[in-house]
Amino acid sequence: MKRGLVSWDKGELPPEELAARLAVVHAIVRNKGIDAFVLYSDVWRSNDARYLSNYMPYWNRAFIVVPRDEKPILLCALSPRVYPWIKTVTVHETIVASPSPPATLFKLAAERGWKRVGVCDLEGLPADLHAELTGGKLELVDVARRELRAAPSEVEVQMHARAARMAREVLEKELSTGGAQTTDHELTGRLERLLRRAGAEDVVILVSNGRGPPLPASGAAVGPLTSVVVAIEYNGHWAKVTRNVAGVTASLPASGGVTELREILSGPYSWESVDDAVTPAVVSLQLEIPAQNQHLYYGDTCLQGKAGLRIL
Amino acid sequence: MLKLNPQRKKEFLELMARRGWDLLLFYGDTWRKDHFRCLVSVCFSGPQALAVLTKEGEVRAVVTHPWDVEPVKSATGGSVTYAPRLLEGLKSTLRDVGKAVVAINGLEQMEARFLRAVKDACGGSAASATADVEEIRRVKTQEELEWIKKAAQLADRGYEQFVRVARAGMTEYELVAEVEGFVKAHGAEDNFMLVASGGTEVTAMKPPTARKLQVGDSVITELTPQINGYYAQICRTLVIGPPSEKQLESYAIFSEAQKAAEDLLRPGVDISDVARVQNDVFRKHGYGEYTGAQYTRVRGHNLGLYPDEFPHVLENVHYTCKKDMVVIAHPNTYLPLSGYMVFGDTLLVTDTGCVSLNQTERRLFQA
Repeated sequence: MKRGLVSWDKGELPPEELAARLAVVHAIVRNKGIDAFVLYSDVWRSNDARYLSNYMPYWNRAFIVVPRDEKPILLCALSPRVYPWIKTVTVHETIVASPSPPATLFKLAAERGWKRVGVCDLEGLPADLHAELTGGKLELVDVARRELRAAPSEVEVQMHARAARMAREVLEKELSTGGAQTTDHELTGRLERLLRRAGAEDVVILVSNGRGPPLPASGAAVGPLTSVVVAIEYNGHWAKVTRNVAGVTASLPASGGVTELREILSGPYSWESVDDAVTPAVVSLQLEIPAQNQHLYYGDTCLQGKAGLRIL
Repeated sequence: MLKLNPQRKKEFLELMARRGWDLLLFYGDTWRKDHFRCLVSVCFSGPQALAVLTKEGEVRAVVTHPWDVEPVKSATGGSVTYAPRLLEGLKSTLRDVGKAVVAINGLEQMEARFLRAVKDACGGSAASATADVEEIRRVKTQEELEWIKKAAQLADRGYEQFVRVARAGMTEYELVAEVEGFVKAHGAEDNFMLVASGGTEVTAMKPPTARKLQVGDSVITELTPQINGYYAQICRTLVIGPPSEKQLESYAIFSEAQKAAEDLLRPGVDISDVARVQNDVFRKHGYGEYTGAQYTRVRGHNLGLYPDEFPHVLENVHYTCKKDMVVIAHPNTYLPLSGYMVFGDTLLVTDTGCVSLNQTERRLFQA
């Protein structure tokens, strides 16, 4: 679950930016002749909801419903007791308690006379919700995710860059000041503490001992072939930064046995592998570097565009 | 450390035989890794992972991140397909299956397109195995109990740290950061943690905010570290400064309610009664209305590879408790005395009753 600071800094993420995103959805609704647009969200598929309304489902499932030319409505399986808090960190003014979001959507549709509803990536819905939704009387229109968010805005890029800076600063400092005299559990604990105190919403740390891929810490000693992957979510924007104790770096194009992995950081699941044809996008670039018959890892958060990669 | 639990595998194969399933699929995504990990105990990095158990006992897997190939292969000893898109991996892995009776653990969470691919590959239908598998998972193996006991010990130590660092002027998220750092440094793989601070205006727990703790606050937390996949939980309330009479009165009610649950819990008891005896304590003290959904969620729940397993401890949920289930009984709710309060321990059901796996003192803590 998300157990870091969930907040909305309107200086970083201006309401006008969210209004512009909502305007895109309203245009989709009008252009497709649908009555409302529906977006699914859960604790680990949270990027799209965060993009549209700054809603962070720290736990549980939700639908965001955008009626034609109206503000978004949150259909939320969380308790109404947390709605006052949700309203302070999102644009949502209307939140409807929804143990079953499809059932609440049907009720809303009946009340408002909706016949056609667009669903963002209909086939990507969890199977139980998909069955419930397609079993109803609404005509459902599949809306491709790229129609909602074709390219990262400058605000998004800056938020990812902020997250990357946080991860980079903390990781590099820890590895340079004693990271090598400890266990990976202790190192992970120190990184978690520092990153969460700095305002990280979520943190995932993986460690490689040089003999295998990065995995959750196992209590092993940190050594010269240790690499540490820090994925951090800052106000809904992920960054992933990898450094190694040896201080070895690599550059692109990958050569000399270096292998490359790119992951999209703003997709539905946060770090899906992507090919370089996906542009523009904020991606994690992870490089595996041969060293003494073992492997070091190095990586960073980049803006992938037609001109190539730019480290954020 | 077992990565492919032979006892569980045997039980799943017996389940398949009883139900007539040819294949049992275990689908996990980043949120619900437990649906995968109940067979293959690997904390995968990719967005999804899927294991296929054949009725002959073979295990094949599909992973969506290259870093998952090696640990999953090492765990299963079988073939592992890496596919950045699970859809392609599913089609490839099930390509030669032909018509087969298929069931899926975690079907409900699976993307509809994945379910469609399974159905297309296997002759048109797929049943949900989630409830059957949950029933098997509910009664823990001895090795699972050892991990849960370790998690409970870490929950105790984590709460000690919570008490040690909490002070007026600290923000909620700084407090959580201190505890999170501590439990990770001491071996937690993950941690489920809710928190809140304040007085009678506090109606629920949630992620931490930037609110600063103040003298007189009740600071409440559900702390749930995970060790090798398994969660244990502790719920306690701490007061910044000396507790008020109302905070003490409230705590006494919660303590009495939790004890009533602990006194009752044993094999053969209906879980609804474990909820009822807790609620009866609130009723006896004139706070019966605060046992409903407007003020609280559940009076506890099962624990294991997921921190909020079924059955939930509610008066309208009926389930006969069994030995070696692990349940937290927590009468957490809002009371007008001092706001939302929490209190609970992780309980292991034994032959004749239950024992708490937590050692933390049962009192209203003070910082």
